[in-house]
Amino acid sequence: MTEKKTMTYYPGCSSQGSGKHLDESLRAVMPEVGIEMEDIEDWNCCGASIGHIGGGQLPNLALTGRNLAQARKRGTQDVITGCAACYLNTHGGNEKIKADVKKKAEVNEALAEAGMSYDGDLKVRHACEVLVNDVGVEAIEKRVTNPLKGLKVAGYVGCQTVRPFAGTEAGGDYDAYDDPTFLDDFTKACGAEAVPFKHKTSCCGGSVAVMSPDRTLHLMKAIVEEAAKQGADVISTPCPLCQTNVEMYQPLINEKFGTDYHIPVVFYSQLMAVAFGMDGEKDAALQRNTIRSEKLEGMAKKK
Amino acid sequence: MTTPAPAAGKTYDLSFARWVRDNINGGDKLNLCMQCGACSGSCPIGVQMDYGPRKLFMMIRAGMKEEVLSANTQWNCTSCYRCVVRCPRGVPVTYILQDLAAKSAEFGYAKGPHENKNFAQSFWWSAATFGRTDERLVTMRYFFSLGLGEGFKRAMANLKVALGMVKTGRMHIGLPHMTKGRKGLKAILAKAREIEARH
Ligand code: SF4
Ligand code: SF4
Repeated sequence: MTEKKTMTYYPGCSSQGSGKHLDESLRAVMPEVGIEMEDIEDWNCCGASIGHIGGGQLPNLALTGRNLAQARKRGTQDVITGCAACYLNTHGGNEKIKADVKKKAEVNEALAEAGMSYDGDLKVRHACEVLVNDVGVEAIEKRVTNPLKGLKVAGYVGCQTVRPFAGTEAGGDYDAYDDPTFLDDFTKACGAEAVPFKHKTSCCGGSVAVMSPDRTLHLMKAIVEEAAKQGADVISTPCPLCQTNVEMYQPLINEKFGTDYHIPVVFYSQLMAVAFGMDGEKDAALQRNTIRSEKLEGMAKKK
Repeated sequence: MTTPAPAAGKTYDLSFARWVRDNINGGDKLNLCMQCGACSGSCPIGVQMDYGPRKLFMMIRAGMKEEVLSANTQWNCTSCYRCVVRCPRGVPVTYILQDLAAKSAEFGYAKGPHENKNFAQSFWWSAATFGRTDERLVTMRYFFSLGLGEGFKRAMANLKVALGMVKTGRMHIGLPHMTKGRKGLKAILAKAREIEARH
């Protein structure tokens, strides 16, 4: 990290619900490594991967248009988000608006109804990409005061954090989409051990898992099974949907397959907060995990 | 199990393929597909699809409109984008499937209580009404959209999960979180719908 930066933060809907602990831990750790985050004023939902079905393609894109019009009020500083779906939609939508003059005109015609406009001059970035490219893994390591010695972590990247934009120039070109290393790098920077994990970019089932767990329980089982086999104390992930799915469905997996899994699933930012010696509840939000990790909580500072 | 497939030696009707090209998001890239199967081979949920993306695309070329629009392929896609990054021809497979899902719903191919369609509609209701996704309301609205009995069944089955979420503060009690500028948002969305209808 060379200098402090301020970015416009898009928390996304899960930040007020199932992914609260991602939001809380990101807000805690990012300024510690030089990234100040100011919220998009009065943001709205990104539309996720299904908004176009209920709403239509253009209304769905208009959701991103409105968010970016609001973000632009803070100037041309980069927009940052920690949520995989928010990133995919907002980054993807932004690139579409930039590349397609007709779409841009249509989005702006819609935005004008609320006296808004967006010219396509922002950059939308994923928090992990910012951590790799702007902060740097070394700077993260330098900030660590409470190394997570002996904690075995299975790094579960999931899909949309890296696919399809990780290998593209506009996506920050920070890692590969099939065998990314950034998450293990974060784990190691925190002083923990990254166990080999072949399911790092396997799919948890996404929204299909939410609406119809039975169709995708086998996908989540494979992920948990491999983490258990590798002796992981926790699974670490950047994606709020992966975190919630893989955590909350373990009882159902056990019921269906006669297994007995009970592996905590945490965000990389929660690990960082603990490794930075920050508060285990207020900053790392460890109390928000439904499957708690005694080992990790034992390492956390209490104030 | 035998599934419908393009018949060899038949003269194909290209009108459906042309419609897909002109009306489906990403459909203009479909003619780049060389039928290699990397998409279907990469798909985590391909075995649960009536046809993998490769075959579905061949069926589009063969003019099998009914079979394509009533397939579960587009509904079982989890949007993992593995096919997109692996396709050697740069076909935006996921986007095509996502829009095929939307169009199958629009044209009445997703009949009755349909899990994906109903979930997507509950989701959009929340986004458009509050400006935000309220996970509690989306889930409940979705459950009961499948029928009263099914709604109760699913709500009960999810009770433990929901209580865990409430206990850890990941599900709040009370009014939904809302975007303040809802009036403007609604006007934007209505206009966008109107523009789209012009096409
Ligand atoms: S990977 Fe691409 S080229 Fe190969 S079958 Fe699928 S869509 Fe066609
Ligand atoms: S995006 Fe959909 S079709 Fe493509 S590999 Fe993933 S689940 Fe299969």
